[in-house]
Amino acid sequence: MAAWIQRNKFSVILGVVVLVLAYIYYFSDKTTALSMYRYAWTYAVPLVLCALVGVIGERSGVVNIGIEGQLLVSAFAGFFGAAYSGSLIVGILSGVGCGLILGGFLAWTTVKWRMDQIIAGVVLNIVATGITSFYYKPGQLLPALMPHWSIPGLSSIPLIGEVFFKGTGVIALIAIIAVFGIHFGLFKTTWGLRTRAIGEYPSAADTAGINVITMRLVNVTLAGALAGLAGVFLSMDSTSSFERGMSAGRGFLALAIMIFGAWRPLRAAAAALFFGFVTAAASQLQADQVINVPPQLVGTLPYVLTLVVLAVAAGRVRAPGAVGQPFVKEGK
Amino acid sequence: MKAKRYLVAGAATALALGLTACGGSTGSTGSGSSASGAASDDSNCADAAVFCIGLVTDTGKVDDKSFNQASHEGAKAAAAADGGFYKYVETQDAKDYAANMAQFTNKKYDVVVTVGFLMTDATAEAAAGSPDTKFIGVDQFFDPATVTAKNLTGIQYPEDQAGYGAGYLAGLMTKTNKIGQVLGLEIPPVQKFAKGYEAGAKAANPAVQVTTVYHPAGDNAFNDPTWGAAEAKKQLDQGADFIFGAGGNTGNGALQEVAKATGAGDTVFCIGVDTDQWDTVPAAQKCLITSATKELSKSVTDTIAVANKGDFEGLTTMGSAGLAPFHDFDSKIPADVKTKVEKVVSDLKSGALETGVTL
Repeated sequence: MAAWIQRNKFSVILGVVVLVLAYIYYFSDKTTALSMYRYAWTYAVPLVLCALVGVIGERSGVVNIGIEGQLLVSAFAGFFGAAYSGSLIVGILSGVGCGLILGGFLAWTTVKWRMDQIIAGVVLNIVATGITSFYYKPGQLLPALMPHWSIPGLSSIPLIGEVFFKGTGVIALIAIIAVFGIHFGLFKTTWGLRTRAIGEYPSAADTAGINVITMRLVNVTLAGALAGLAGVFLSMDSTSSFERGMSAGRGFLALAIMIFGAWRPLRAAAAALFFGFVTAAASQLQADQVINVPPQLVGTLPYVLTLVVLAVAAGRVRAPGAVGQPFVKEGK
Repeated sequence: MKAKRYLVAGAATALALGLTACGGSTGSTGSGSSASGAASDDSNCADAAVFCIGLVTDTGKVDDKSFNQASHEGAKAAAAADGGFYKYVETQDAKDYAANMAQFTNKKYDVVVTVGFLMTDATAEAAAGSPDTKFIGVDQFFDPATVTAKNLTGIQYPEDQAGYGAGYLAGLMTKTNKIGQVLGLEIPPVQKFAKGYEAGAKAANPAVQVTTVYHPAGDNAFNDPTWGAAEAKKQLDQGADFIFGAGGNTGNGALQEVAKATGAGDTVFCIGVDTDQWDTVPAAQKCLITSATKELSKSVTDTIAVANKGDFEGLTTMGSAGLAPFHDFDSKIPADVKTKVEKVVSDLKSGALETGVTL
């Protein structure tokens, strides 16, 4: 434990400082603080899930620019699946299924056929915009609202419990589990070691007997399920309708968050929360009219802060070595 | 290497979006059933006997359940009434306004309707370049001192009156003395709604606190329901019991969020915008007490009819605005509140009462 703290001194100190500040604000103005933290988390859920998709892809050596498209198609499939079948479960499954299918498409074209990863992702985004716009039918309704629960015990913790476990939906809970699960998986398991190996130095991994092609295929495809969940969250949980283009650039934002989070799940989640909170702060500043500046200017706050943080973080973070390069087995 | 890849990605994405944006999606209806002069395509628009109407939306869709949809329906009705041909283009990107209008002017359309305040300058420019086509700008105002073209007119609406009525109702009914509004882009028509809402609420109840939040980003300010929903939830968490959602799909997201809240329709309410959103956003019916409406469809239809037959030159139109019916909430609103609100709305219409809203 002590060694771990020693190794992650900066993160630990920053984490403690942020938490203390968050609690100070919470106890000084409970209503406003809590509403802003809840906003931040709602805003962050799809970003966290999508950033994880990016992390898994790039750690395996595949750039996934198509997250935006996966998100949009899943939101579409989830909503209309639920609306036409009359079952929320069917909606969630079709959303997740679409995420998987598009993940599989990306994996197959880039890993098997060695198509340029960026182009494959861009194609995916264009197809997603086209398909969802074309087949969109207005006037549909969800058969029911997504259930929300409060986790007994956990939900009574001040601040943390109230934000993450009170009146929360299943997707937000999965997002929390996924962050910790994937962090553990990447850094503590054989799967994680192999994944990082094929993303850093695939020919060495190949020499060691890891099947680079299969592993990349599986990782990128399965990560699509998380993008699917994020899409379902957009159209079925955070709102209850699908609108064309409703992903509104969140898939791209998630990539920035992934870099911000140094390709690590926990840090990416923290970055997404930070982004959500700054967005909440921007709207709160506007609502309270504390400072009399145009909302457009206040609205740039999250992006300006991100630039500042990225500028500070630049040089400290490094992308996986083989990201973006298709793997060609020697002698083939 | 890495940086370069992202650069390439960005460029490729921008290019791709640009490509898809060109022209946008179109749709058309020829009014086949009408008698003479009815055209089924736009190849003969230059012919004086063929009446062609083109509509260019703002960066929204003709099924956005509010602003663009109402204008679109108005234009469609006009085409049906006059036996004309009607076609629309949905703008994907503000850069394409001119190109989309050119699709119609190149084919010598008789009337081009441009929807939305943001197209004001582009419309004036296009009107100067195509003197044979009549332009109708919805939500637009052309200052006669600077715009000399005779072939265009703007339709404006007293949004502040509709907002005032809605705010007055909210001010009378709020229990927490806190009401909120979730808005699209900060442009004059939206500002008029917002300021009217605030003025009306304060007039009804001086103690009321109004939370006003505009969507910060320009590109998707009217098409971000997720943001609208999160913002509405934040305002509800802070104790607001009336939320006015004014901003296309962004506002619709807010309405739907309020409908999901505990106490929706009993202790918390939402107010729609532009059209009667009871019909257009059924998911919000649980909380939708009324909508602050503009009579978009009718004014578009009427103005097109004038452009076809009447005295178009020098025309300026002030459409009307008011409150939509209360539907299921009719029985839940106390009678004295209803009388007061109805009086305020009719006084505003007659000019006996002023909203005092200035931009």
